Amino acid sequence: MTGSEPGGVTPPAGLRRRVVAASRRARPAGRVIPEIPRISPAEAFGRAADAFYALLCALNEPDWRLHVLRDLDVQGLAGHLTGVEDDVQRALRGDPVQADHVTSTQPAADRQAGRPTAATRADWRRAADRTLEMVRGADVDAEVTVWGIPLPLRSVLVARAFELWTHENDIRRVAGLRASVPDASTLRLMTELATGMLPIAALLTGLQGPINLRLVLTGPGGGTWDVAIGGDAPEPASIAIVTDVVDFCRLAANRANPDDLDLYVTGDRDRAPAVLAATSALALD
Amino acid sequence: MESTDALLTARLAAGDDHALAEVFDLLGPAVYGAALHVLGEWAAAQDVVQDVFVELWSRPSRYDPAAGSLRAYLTMMARHRAVDMVRSELRRIARQERNQRLTPQPEFPSPGEEVAAAEAAGVVREAVRLLPDSQRQVVELAYFGGLSYREVARAAGIPEGTAKSRLRIALAKLESVLEPQLLELS
Repeated sequence: MTGSEPGGVTPPAGLRRRVVAASRRARPAGRVIPEIPRISPAEAFGRAADAFYALLCALNEPDWRLHVLRDLDVQGLAGHLTGVEDDVQRALRGDPVQADHVTSTQPAADRQAGRPTAATRADWRRAADRTLEMVRGADVDAEVTVWGIPLPLRSVLVARAFELWTHENDIRRVAGLRASVPDASTLRLMTELATGMLPIAALLTGLQGPINLRLVLTGPGGGTWDVAIGGDAPEPASIAIVTDVVDFCRLAANRANPDDLDLYVTGDRDRAPAVLAATSALALD
Repeated sequence: MESTDALLTARLAAGDDHALAEVFDLLGPAVYGAALHVLGEWAAAQDVVQDVFVELWSRPSRYDPAAGSLRAYLTMMARHRAVDMVRSELRRIARQERNQRLTPQPEFPSPGEEVAAAEAAGVVREAVRLLPDSQRQVVELAYFGGLSYREVARAAGIPEGTAKSRLRIALAKLESVLEPQLLELS
């Protein structure tokens, strides 16, 4: 009996199972603490649009000429995003654009050259508001095909929030501004989308499965996911990856490399780089 | 990544039940040891360990890694809960003793009843005398000395759990020996 506390006393057999079972009864596995208020995908898109617009309003005139990505400066990027809204609206009207996301929006980006930046900004805001107006009260489970990719409307809206946040931070980076982080409710939807798409991304990148992946994303908006990645091997590999939720979203947006992430990996560690590489496979620039 | 304690807590907050099992493997012995040290009884100590881990899992944000180690946090919680349990038991015993004092005593027995009672007492004392020393000691302290479990344990210099188990065994033996003899007397 005389358990000296520093060294401890080996607990009786069965106590571990009893403790874990009682804990799960008190709080089911996977439930995040503190709980995050749920918001609709349209709300997440609306919040991301507001954040993007606030950034455009805060930029100085020379900032609009900063090169951001591909051949786009800030003004061209805003034009690209206006083009994206146009494509989404066409899809919502049942007239889907089949060209890829960059090709179809390039004319809208090119049209911004020489225009007043205030006009570019106002065009984008109007386009985003039109999208919001069109999805108000819409069935978010209805399938929408944009750029040849069929997705439920809820996923399209969350992907749009993801893209706006990503480009907002592209601009912040070149303008020397501090990176922004979405609110926890929006992040939660973004991580749900990214983890839900992971098996498809794994398939596209040729990741050899099967893999039972436990993904733990820490911080507000994170959570725990058990993702089954398919494959032909007789025995599934088991990997657990723990990382920060915002870093994971940057990875999923193809704005971070797996090597940049602060990771804690257990299980079949050799497979982890391929899983992380697959995470960014579905990112749209 | 961050320190082990901060990482484990972040995983708990994210709902990773594997992290809970890891914390148990890492710190379960220390938490159990802390509870056992105060309570001296394995069953009660296990209850405390369960309470401590359920609390950690239910409210992980109450632990602040900047304020100290997870080990210190959990063992302190175990000690506090164990002490609370002891206090609660003491209050219960005190309440019981107070109730006994306030309960009216039975009327004086008749001479015949006194003779029968004296004979019965003699039979009981003889049965107790035949018990092994360790069991006789706790019976005498508890029933002839009127001490509580805790006081018996202290007087005999043994843990309370041991005092309880010795009493249980001794009473079972007495019951088996005395029942036929007392029936003959009645």
